[in-house]
Amino acid sequence: MSGRSFRSLFMVASCAGAALGCYLVSLRVASERASLEDVETKIVLTQRDLRVLQTEIGTRGRFAQLERWNASVLAMSAPSADQILRGSFELAKLTEPQHQVDFRAPVVLASAPAPAPQRAPIGESETDDAGSPTGVAPAALLRQASLKTEPLKTETREVPEKPVAQTPLAAGPQKRDKSIERPVTAAKPANKKSVDKPGLAAAKPSKSVDKFVLGADRTVTKPVRLAKVDPLAPLPDKHSPQNNKALTKISKDLHTGR
Amino acid sequence: MNAPTPALVAPRPERLRLVGQRRQILALMHQRLMFGMLVYAGVIALIVLRIMWLAAFGDHAGRKEGLTALVPDRGDIVDRDGEPLARTIDAWTIAVHPTKVIGDKLALSQQLAKLMPEHSADEYFAMLGSGKPFFYLRRRASPALVEAVNAIGEPGLAIEREPDRLYPQTSLAAHVIGFTDIDGHGAAGVERAFDQELSDPRTRGNPLVLSISSRIQQALEHELGDAMAQFSAIGAAGVVMDVHTGEVLAMTSLPAFNPNAAGQGTPDQMFNRATLGVFELGSTFKPFTLAMAMDSGIVHGPGQTYNCPNVLTAYGHNIHDTHPFGRTCSVAEIMMESSNIGMAQIADQVGTERQKAWLKKMGFLDKVEIELKERGRSLTPGSRWGPFETMTIGFGQGIAVAPLQLAMGYATLFDGGVYHPPTILKIGPGHQLPPGRRVFSEDTSYRMRSLLRLVVMKGTGKKADAPGYRVGGKTGTAQKLINGRYSQTINLTSFAGVFPMDDPRYVIVVMLDEPKATKDTYGFTTAGWNVAPVVSRTVSRIAPMLGVEPDLTREPNMNEVLPFVQDAKQDTKKD
Repeated sequence: MSGRSFRSLFMVASCAGAALGCYLVSLRVASERASLEDVETKIVLTQRDLRVLQTEIGTRGRFAQLERWNASVLAMSAPSADQILRGSFELAKLTEPQHQVDFRAPVVLASAPAPAPQRAPIGESETDDAGSPTGVAPAALLRQASLKTEPLKTETREVPEKPVAQTPLAAGPQKRDKSIERPVTAAKPANKKSVDKPGLAAAKPSKSVDKFVLGADRTVTKPVRLAKVDPLAPLPDKHSPQNNKALTKISKDLHTGR
Repeated sequence: MNAPTPALVAPRPERLRLVGQRRQILALMHQRLMFGMLVYAGVIALIVLRIMWLAAFGDHAGRKEGLTALVPDRGDIVDRDGEPLARTIDAWTIAVHPTKVIGDKLALSQQLAKLMPEHSADEYFAMLGSGKPFFYLRRRASPALVEAVNAIGEPGLAIEREPDRLYPQTSLAAHVIGFTDIDGHGAAGVERAFDQELSDPRTRGNPLVLSISSRIQQALEHELGDAMAQFSAIGAAGVVMDVHTGEVLAMTSLPAFNPNAAGQGTPDQMFNRATLGVFELGSTFKPFTLAMAMDSGIVHGPGQTYNCPNVLTAYGHNIHDTHPFGRTCSVAEIMMESSNIGMAQIADQVGTERQKAWLKKMGFLDKVEIELKERGRSLTPGSRWGPFETMTIGFGQGIAVAPLQLAMGYATLFDGGVYHPPTILKIGPGHQLPPGRRVFSEDTSYRMRSLLRLVVMKGTGKKADAPGYRVGGKTGTAQKLINGRYSQTINLTSFAGVFPMDDPRYVIVVMLDEPKATKDTYGFTTAGWNVAPVVSRTVSRIAPMLGVEPDLTREPNMNEVLPFVQDAKQDTKKD
């Protein structure tokens, strides 16, 4: 009986509980929504601040102002048509080695012959060295000096064209080449310091000297350079003597230039 | 239960009646009570339901309305790259309520005069003592000033924020953007033309995207301003336009004003020379005459020859050339050396009626078609338009058009002959390209390329060349009409250029008003000396931005015209 009489009370209580639960859920939702709105409001306010700051930066850094700064401080100008490249090929072309004669190079040469005077007396008195087959000593000295520093230039130039007047000295120079080249290579480091050469320019001659020394025997390293000169006319045999001639010619030029 | 027993005494009929009445009354009362209870319960239920509804779905008390999206009070104006050109910001405003001032008015007025020296202390004191309720002291005050005024601590001083229009780029494209009046409504330029869109709450949330490019605009304004200063010109105008769409990428009129302080601008500064001003632009008109003649079948090619004497007498007037040929010359040479005599003969062959029809078709006889309200109507001879006027219009005298109109004409000519109305809005999703209208034939358009390139390569416009960008164009030097007579010394020089000429994409028109000769120009004031270099410098600056690839090896097909040019002359002193 008691259970029956309390049944309605239970019903009411459970209904109230359910309603309260629902209410709590909705309350929870409402508070979540409110906090979401707060975040949204914050976002909007931040956007407004951003806008204000952007506007201020934009105003301070307006184009007219930048132009004024550029005119007074940076002095930059629009690139000209040849400064704009159209791809990696044109960019790669820029790194191509320079073929022109570097006018600072002769300075190195001029100082390089310093060891040569040791031989100069030999040159003066040809008869002293009668035992060896050396012919004209001074000229030979001169060309060898040039030999070490600028073999590259000679290669890139048209080597075979100009036969030099000193052709008769075919056998002699080679020996001397070796003998005289070495002192010069040794002297190089000092020269590098005195004359501020770009790294590449300083590095190349030493390599080429090495090749010249070994050049006649080892053709393995050469083909790369030969291809630069004239890919259609391979000159593996003529190469070394011709080079020597050309070198002598250039060395003459350089010395006369100085 | 207590059913009436058969009474010994029969009830009195009145009592019986009474019992019946009581019952009736009782029932009625029950009914009424029940009704009242229902009403009461209903009301309670309504209230409870409403409370529950509010609890479940209602807004809470602290909810802030209107902040869920950032809608400015007036729409932004941005350029084609999104760079803001006009924005509405909250600016500080300082005001005073004289009746609410509680401190010492004399001391206050002295302090105010120290902080805001635009009024003296006496004036401030008079203001405070006037008894009027409200005065603005400073609008758009700087934060530092606001801080200082706030530090005075006078409750009668009001410091408020109010929306204000700011133009971050100051005078850049001032004539295009325009400005707003004190009430925030557009008073000029785009602000005026699109006032409705900019202030409508539904549309102002989205910025108005112009076709202007700030960087190109700056380059044009800077180069033009330099030339204006160098040649002491009284004014200048410039337009850069996309040939294919008619979008105006840059448009300037110098001297310019600062829209942030538009009230300080002089009428000369406020005048938009690019759209409102109309000028006789001289020889820049010649390509149109030639195109008309080509399309009408009068001129068959650049090799057609005309007799070009030193002086041509026609309809009772003498026509001169600044550099007379004195021989028979080809059409290519007429263009290259800008011969009035040759072009007059071509125009004569076209005839007055046909010329009018062509000019009408090109839009030269009406107001220039653009969204801005500041538009000038071209000036023509009107009723005096006879055969001689036809000749002078043929070489650009006797007709006055706006520089924008000239740019539009060139755009038409080099867009394969199709006319697109100029527009200041960016062509894109919100603003489709309207269908064009064919004016010239495609063939004519193509043949004009090499002719105008010739002018820059060998003719009067050599100084306009920008290496690698294939500029073609035409110089124009018009004598100014002063007191009814054409002045021999005061000129208006212009250059209309197109680049790159092998595939025209952009038109540039620059104009200098009354340039003076300098040492560098050897005393000349013709267009080849003063505006052509502006084009060269501007094009080399803007072409890379516009994506025009420089190429020193490309040219339009010059073989079409070069065979018809005799020993090219080396001087560029003509217009």
